[in-house]
Parts: sequence; structure tokens; C-alpha cells
Amino acid sequence: MSTHVDAPAPVERKAPTTTQIGRSIPRLESRAKVTGEAEYIHNLRLPGMLYGKIFRSTVPHGRIVRIDTRAAKELPGVFAVITGEDVRALIPDPYYGPAFHDQPVLAIDKVRYVGEPVAVALSEDPHIAEHAANLIEAEYEDLPAVFDEVEAAAATQVFVHDALRPAGMFPDLKHLHGRTKTNVALDFTLRRNDVEQGFAQADYVFEHVFRTPTVAHTALEPIVSVAEPRGPQALTIHTSSQSPSFVRSEVARLLGWPENRVRVRTAFLGGGFGAKLYIKLEAMVAVLALMVKRPVKISLTMEEQFYTITKHATTVHLKTGVTKAGKITARQCEAWWNGGAYADIGPRVTQKSGFTAAGPYDIENVALNSYAVYTNLPPAGALRGFGIPQLVWAYESHTDLIARELEIDPLEFRRANILRDGRPQATGTIMHDIATVEVLDALSSAMRWGESFDRGKGSIRRGHGIAIGFKACIAPTTSGAIVNLYGDGSCAVYCGTVDMGQGSDTVMAQIAAEVLGLDPQSVSVIHPDTDVTPYDMATLGSRSTFHMGNAVRLAALEAREKLFAIAGKALEADPSLLTVADNGVSAPSGRRLSIADVIKSTFLMQAGNIIGTGSFRPTYTSPSQGDGQSDDITPFWMVGAVGAEVEVDTETGRVRVTRLVNVADVGTPINPGIVTRQLNGGALMQLGFTMSEAVRFDNGQAVNASLADYKIPGILDIPDQTLAKIVAGCQSTGPFGAKGVGETGTFAVSPAIANAVHDAVGVRIFDLPLTPETVYRALRAAQHNPLEDQQ
Amino acid sequence: MIPFDLQEPASLAEAIALLDPDDPSVRPVAGGTALMLMMKAGLFQPTRLISLRRLEGDLRRVHVDEHGDLHLGALVPLSKLELSPLVAEHAPAVSETCRTLSNVRVRNVATLGGHVAHGDPHMDLPPLLIALGARARAVGPRGERWIDAADLFVGYYQTALERDELLAEIVIPAPSPDSSAAYVKFTALSADDWPAVGVAAAVRRREGVILDAVLAVSAATEKPIRLAAAEAAIRGKSTSSGSFDEAAEAAAHEVEPLADIRGSTAYKREMVRVHVRRALIKASHS
Repeated sequence: MSTHVDAPAPVERKAPTTTQIGRSIPRLESRAKVTGEAEYIHNLRLPGMLYGKIFRSTVPHGRIVRIDTRAAKELPGVFAVITGEDVRALIPDPYYGPAFHDQPVLAIDKVRYVGEPVAVALSEDPHIAEHAANLIEAEYEDLPAVFDEVEAAAATQVFVHDALRPAGMFPDLKHLHGRTKTNVALDFTLRRNDVEQGFAQADYVFEHVFRTPTVAHTALEPIVSVAEPRGPQALTIHTSSQSPSFVRSEVARLLGWPENRVRVRTAFLGGGFGAKLYIKLEAMVAVLALMVKRPVKISLTMEEQFYTITKHATTVHLKTGVTKAGKITARQCEAWWNGGAYADIGPRVTQKSGFTAAGPYDIENVALNSYAVYTNLPPAGALRGFGIPQLVWAYESHTDLIARELEIDPLEFRRANILRDGRPQATGTIMHDIATVEVLDALSSAMRWGESFDRGKGSIRRGHGIAIGFKACIAPTTSGAIVNLYGDGSCAVYCGTVDMGQGSDTVMAQIAAEVLGLDPQSVSVIHPDTDVTPYDMATLGSRSTFHMGNAVRLAALEAREKLFAIAGKALEADPSLLTVADNGVSAPSGRRLSIADVIKSTFLMQAGNIIGTGSFRPTYTSPSQGDGQSDDITPFWMVGAVGAEVEVDTETGRVRVTRLVNVADVGTPINPGIVTRQLNGGALMQLGFTMSEAVRFDNGQAVNASLADYKIPGILDIPDQTLAKIVAGCQSTGPFGAKGVGETGTFAVSPAIANAVHDAVGVRIFDLPLTPETVYRALRAAQHNPLEDQQ
Repeated sequence: MIPFDLQEPASLAEAIALLDPDDPSVRPVAGGTALMLMMKAGLFQPTRLISLRRLEGDLRRVHVDEHGDLHLGALVPLSKLELSPLVAEHAPAVSETCRTLSNVRVRNVATLGGHVAHGDPHMDLPPLLIALGARARAVGPRGERWIDAADLFVGYYQTALERDELLAEIVIPAPSPDSSAAYVKFTALSADDWPAVGVAAAVRRREGVILDAVLAVSAATEKPIRLAAAEAAIRGKSTSSGSFDEAAEAAAHEVEPLADIRGSTAYKREMVRVHVRRALIKASHS
């Protein structure tokens, strides 16, 4: 494997030459992680702490007739066994969720999927808690269940929920309140001009259906939460969460408390990928801890994560009109998102990704429908890309098929239709700072597109393919930060961004250091603690570098203004003419004081603080109901393209990706080394979702819920060459020109590989993943000799 | 995991005495790579585990006797098989198979004895041991006995070993100068996944003619088995691709693959066909 980073071209800045931006400094926490000193909630033990073990539903849909906890309670060492009815005694309406208040802390009246938490056994000994959970018995009256997203959306008899309960946080969900006899939690609609007229203008119309399966996050550190009561009226929650601010708000809401009585803190996360967003175990441990008046910890196993949160399975129907010359005149898309039994953030995925479902193309007439659908499967939520990889799978497979059919080079076809800077996207928002053309150009050169290509021989056939995707950063969201200069001149950044392996601590330190003239390695980043760090919406959707980066920059600028005001007196200079570098402040006269001495000049000893605060909230216009139009849909766009070279074994159907090139518009990278690793990491994660990963269900029961049978890529699956290329770009509203990057590497991996397979062996795969059997069956079908399944 | 009794005997006799022929919840454990997964998944709850980690001597030794037979101690870790010059010289197909067996972390811990005695049909070495005509020496309270590798695997996770017997060693007979062997495996999901199909072939050939062949398949079937019809189809035939195709066809007809998440019955049947041919080609060219 080799990696490569193109040096970004310099961008214009008003500030003097930067010293910390664009530097690939090592991660601040590397040593602590390698030596095992880094803090993880998984290792936390508190005096008097009880361990909880969850007893889970074994049926996909059923009315709870009886839960027998007697044997579990009688087991020596068991402290308590708690059911949904016990929870209801403390909280009359114990339902939570970011979009819908639909998920009970523990099942009440009904269970809606196999694996749903029904009861919790508590003990000081985790083994006893586990044994006790195994002794709990439940009886259910089976109800008919729905699993497929398209069938569930059309269902007239089987409903997962009796009535829809939108949370009220999002105005566009309010109209759904109280709706009954439906499994559709949200139906998002976008209309741009007249799609029927667009089809009428076309010479050809193409229609295809693409599917993706349920997949899992498989973070190395499974989800873990600890709740610690501070008397009956206050709580501390230690949790591996990507969204501590939301946890505080939602737990306070459930308990009917003001937010200032709930403290939520995190440490490093061993991966998140969206699995640790909103509320997962936090409401459960909070309620349990208040009931038993002891700290309570629940640590999921890797297996239990499959029953907690997944990525949406999807069905996407695309229809495109195109002229003989290759101009797309109209595109229609219907997308069904299998949300599982509880909405989690699914309705946001449906809308926020849904409006990009026509792809990064300049299309006059667009009609999009996107449906969040309840089914009797484990809940689906955010997973690195927030729905975008599922849509890019569909529209880039579809786009490739059209180019082939028209006998136009796939790259030229895309170039001819690409959405350019200054043109309106399907929502009507004018594109700014979007390097789509540059990304395609860089992809073309990285893939040596158009040059001769080794097609393989014998049973090994070679092919190459490309794809491009884009994403709008989620909006509207807010980040706040504090920058604190201590009496000795050292600096701490207080921010709610969760470092879950993406390197945010390092990037925030670089931004603060750049503004204040410090060494970023000396900046300390205070981890999220809602009693200490300001509000942050969440660490998700590639938003932190942009939003929190801007907040940290503003906070550092405010601290610098205060520092200059003091230093101006000490240095007898106009504060507006002062500069910072190497931990000191300099005047035009050449006089210089260290930051410590500046602070000492006003506090008269090593004492005091200089505190700057920053809050960042970009502008936003909500899409209008009915046509989804908005003049300001997002603060920035991410663009990611992928080229893949593959070898297909025509006798087995096995596909080997030999070369994977990721090209990204990330604005100006703050730390190109971290950016490159993020792009490659995202690409390899999506490689797993492309080649082997799928949670398989039998009547709603996951049959491969473990890493023994759910196979993520191993080192031998990594392509011989995995490259990340950064095109020169600048997000004018970003901190020092930066935009987000956490998800960009995932966008276009799957269709690029399927397009390469098509190029190699002439068959099209419409459903992920591209397992050997899937490809083999397609090869046999193409030879008019389909593989027969004998009885 | 529910607490259990852990014993660490210092001798083979002591270990055997701690086994209980009537209690399936009493089991020996060596590397533990397979058993721990079953325990974590709640599929196996021991009352007593007899750890073999303190046992020494021939159990951990690789050596060649005066007849040229290769003796592999049951407690030899798979990574030692992979790297042993003796194994490379006397059974190169074993060394090669170990290189892609699971992953390096598992190979450093898992032992040959556990690999074989677990009876999991997805293990890589059993079909190769069958093809190589290996024998297993089992030791129990009534003494020791020899079991042919082909008779060792009696069902899904079932071996011919009694509950109070332990595997002491595997012996691979000295190869004849005109013989060669190979193992090919096919993984359907990740590269280091359990195989979906594993095929081993050992052939004796002279002047372009196959004198005889032993073929064994695993992973696709409920236990590692010999492919008698395929062996018959290739016996006395030339080492040409046409004869390999006939053997592959016979193999595809005689196996009854089990469907699972790694492939349907029909697909695995096709993969048996492809990999019997590939195993024969590889064995004939090594």
C-alpha cells in the first residue's frame, strides 16, 4: 500500500504567512494511545458501581404478555432486575429520540425487533448480571412483522407504531404528529421545474433499481455508558458519546429537570462512525442509577452493537432522461430508507441526504421522493456519510449504465453534466467553493484514464471504473468554544468536539496555535464535559473542522484581542499593530514580551486568565414544504470521487480491488496527514460495505451478529495501492479555508468498484455487497446459463 | 461468562484423569481461540476447563523419525508449523497452508491439536492431513490408539476422540518421491474469513500419468470428507486439464454442501468443482 498527497496550491489569505496551517504535525494523543494511557470510558470503575446486563427480545414484533424476573432476582449477588413497567413508575412517558420520541428506555407493552432491550439485571459482579439476564423469561403474543422497506411503506395492515410522535425539535416533522396507520416516518419531497417535461425532451429514458443491505458500524470500542447519581437531584453521565450536549438535553427532558443538573462527559472514543450519536445507553443507565441509587455501568459486547444501531438498508429507484448528445434533461428518484423499529436520526438522513439524490449534476428538471420507513429490524441511524454512500451507489451505478448505453466515455459523460461552481443545485441553492471539475480532472490523471489498460487473461479479467459523489454539510447547527490562556502563558481549548480517532484535538490545537502564535503540541484540548465545555451540536457529518474550527478560531481571536490590549500598554504600542509568534507578542518597534510576561504585567504575578469565547452558527434556509427548495441549504459542500481497478475471477466471481484512488475537495487541509488518513480510512470502511459486509436476517433475527461471521476487511483485503489525492481548494467561510473530510472518502467507493466490475466482465450488480456468489450468479445469467438452486 | 473451574495439570496423565467421559461441560483447552469464542457467545458454558498450557515434552515438538515420518506434537502452535524448516522440507503443503490460516495472532496461539480436535469443518489442515494419509495418536485412560485422519472427523463438530482422550500427536508419513500435495481454499467474504470451500489433493504421478490421488474437501460440507468418486475418476489418467475436469465434475456430484452466509448449496457445489481442479493442478505442478 502506498499513500500520496498532492500539496495543495496556496490560497489567498489576509493573514500573514501561516505557520501551523497545512502542517502534518503528529497527533497530540499518539503517545498516550500507544502506551495505553489514553482514557476510555470502557475502563471506568466507580465505587459502589453496578453492572447492568440487558435481556433482549427474541421476537420481531410481539405484545408483551409476561416478563418473569423471579429466578433472576433470586440469584445470589443480584441487586435488582428492572423492566419497562418499573421505568414507567419513575418516568410516566419514558420515550426518547432525536427526531421522534418513539423509543422506550425498556420495552413497554410491545417489542418491535429482535434484540430490543426488555429488562436489565444489575449486580456488582458483571458475570452474575449476565447469568441473571439469562434467567429472565418473557412471553410474547406474536404480531405480524414487516422487514422490507418498500413493503413496509405500502403496508395497510401491519404497523410498527400506533401513531407517529415527532420530537418537535425539527419544524418540518411537526405535520406528522399523531399520524396513524403508516410506517412512513417522513416523506421528503423535492421538485425542481417539470420532470415530465424533461423526460419529454429526452431522446432516451433509463430506469434502474438499486439496493443496499443493513450494515454495522463495528466500532472497536463497543458502546458504553456509566451514570453516577449525585443525590436524588443530579446526575453525572460518563459515556462514549459523539453528542454529549444532546445527551444532556434529552436526559434532562426525560427526567423533567433543568439541564444544569445533568453533567455529561466523554473521553477518547474507540471509534464512533455515527453509532454513538444522540442517545444509545445513556437514558437507560440514568434511569437505572436513579432507581437503585448507585452508579450503573452498561458495556455492550461487539455482538450487542448489531442490536443497537445499524446503517439503513435502502431501495433506490432512479429514472433519467438524456439527449442523444449526452445531456441529462431530467432525473427522478424515489428512495426508501429501512429505519428499523425506532426512528433514531433516520428522518434527518432521509431529508438531508435525500435532497442530493440526483447527484452532483446540473439537471434542469428534478423530482425526488425520500421515505423514512419503520420496520421490525434493529434501528438504523447515522453511519459515516449519513445516507450519501447509499445514494451515490444508486446514482453513480445508474450514470455509468447510461454512459455505456450511449457509448460515451463515462468520465466525459460526467464532465459534460457536472454541477459547477455558481450553478444551482436541485434545491435551488447556488453552489460555492465546490471543486467538482478539479476533482474529475485529478481523477482522470490519477487513473491514467483513456490510456491503454491491461484487460487480464484466462479466468482473471481486469477492469477500471470511476464514480463521484457529493454531500451537503448538515444545517443548521451550532458550536461554541473557549480558549483560555493561563498565567504562565500556556493555553487550553475547551470544546465539545469528541476525538473519536479522527484527530480533532490536533486540528483544534493547530487552529488556536495559529491565531495565538503557539506550538500546537503545547496546547491542551479539554475533552467534552457539559459542566465545563460550551454547547456543541455533535461530532458528526464532517462538521467539526468547519463549525468547531471556526468557533475555536473566533475564541482564539477574542483572547488575542484581550492579550493585545494588555500588551499594548506594556509594550507602549498600538494594539492593532501587534503580532504573535513563538509564545510571545511583538511590537513594530521590535520590542517583544512572552505571553506569560504580558499576563504578568496586568495580574502582577503568575495568576489570572485571558479567556476568549467563540460561537459559530452558519446561516440556513429550511427547504420549503412540498418542493424542498431553499436558497441556503448548507454551509459547505464536500466532493469525493473514486477510481477503482479490479480483477475478477470469472470462475468464482471473486473480485479483488487492486487499486483504489480517492480524490477529494476538502478545501484547504489544516493537517494534510490526518486528512489523507481520514480519506483512506473512509475508503477502506466503505470497501467493506462494498465487498463483504451485510447483516443477514432470518425472520428479523440477525444471523451473523459477530465479527466471526460479519466480515470487515482485513489487511489482506486492502488494495495493493490505496491513494488519497487532495485537490487544491478553499472554503471561503471555513477556518483558514478548510472544510470537513470525515465522510468524503466513503462517497463513491461502491459504484466505482461495481463500474470497474462491469468494465471487466460485462455484468452489472444492482445490490450490494459484491460477494463472489452475487457476481458469479450475474456472470452465469449473462451466459444464459443461470445457476439453478436444486431442492 | 459464568465462572468455572480451571485446572492446569503438569502431565498428560494428570490432564486425562481430570477429564470426565460423561460430562460435556468438562473440556480441555489449549490455545483457546475457538473455545473462547463459543464461551463468549454463550454457546458453551464449561463447569471445568483443563488447560494444557503447562504440558511439555514431545507434545510441543516437531521431529522426523528414522522412517522419515514427520511427528507434529499436539501442542505445537500453528505459527511454529508455518515456520518449521522440518515441516517445510517434509510436508511443504502444510507450511503453505498455515501461511493463510486465519491470521498471525491466531496462529501464534492456536495449536495443531485444538485445530484438529475441535471438529469444526471450517478448519484448513484436516483435509490436507487426510490427503497426506496422516494418523493421529490419541491417549486416554485405557492407553493410546492410532486413528487415521480420514476416520477422525465423524460429524459437525464431532470427532472420533472420546471425551476422556487427548490428542498427543499427528504423524505424516514420509512422502514417496513421486508424490506431491496441495491445499487450496476459497474465502467468500474477507480474505482472512473462514473458508467457504477447502480442497486438498495429494497425487502420485509418473511420466504424466496420475497413479493415484487422494482428494478431500472441507468447509462446504458438514465434516472434512474424501472425494472417492473424484479420486476414481482421475486414477490412471494423464495430468492434463481434461482429466482434472472429469474429477472436478465427479466431485461436484458427490458433495452435499451446506448453505450458509458464505454461499448457497448450488454455489458451493460450483466452487468445489473449481477448487478440486485447481487443487489437482497445483498438486501436479508442485
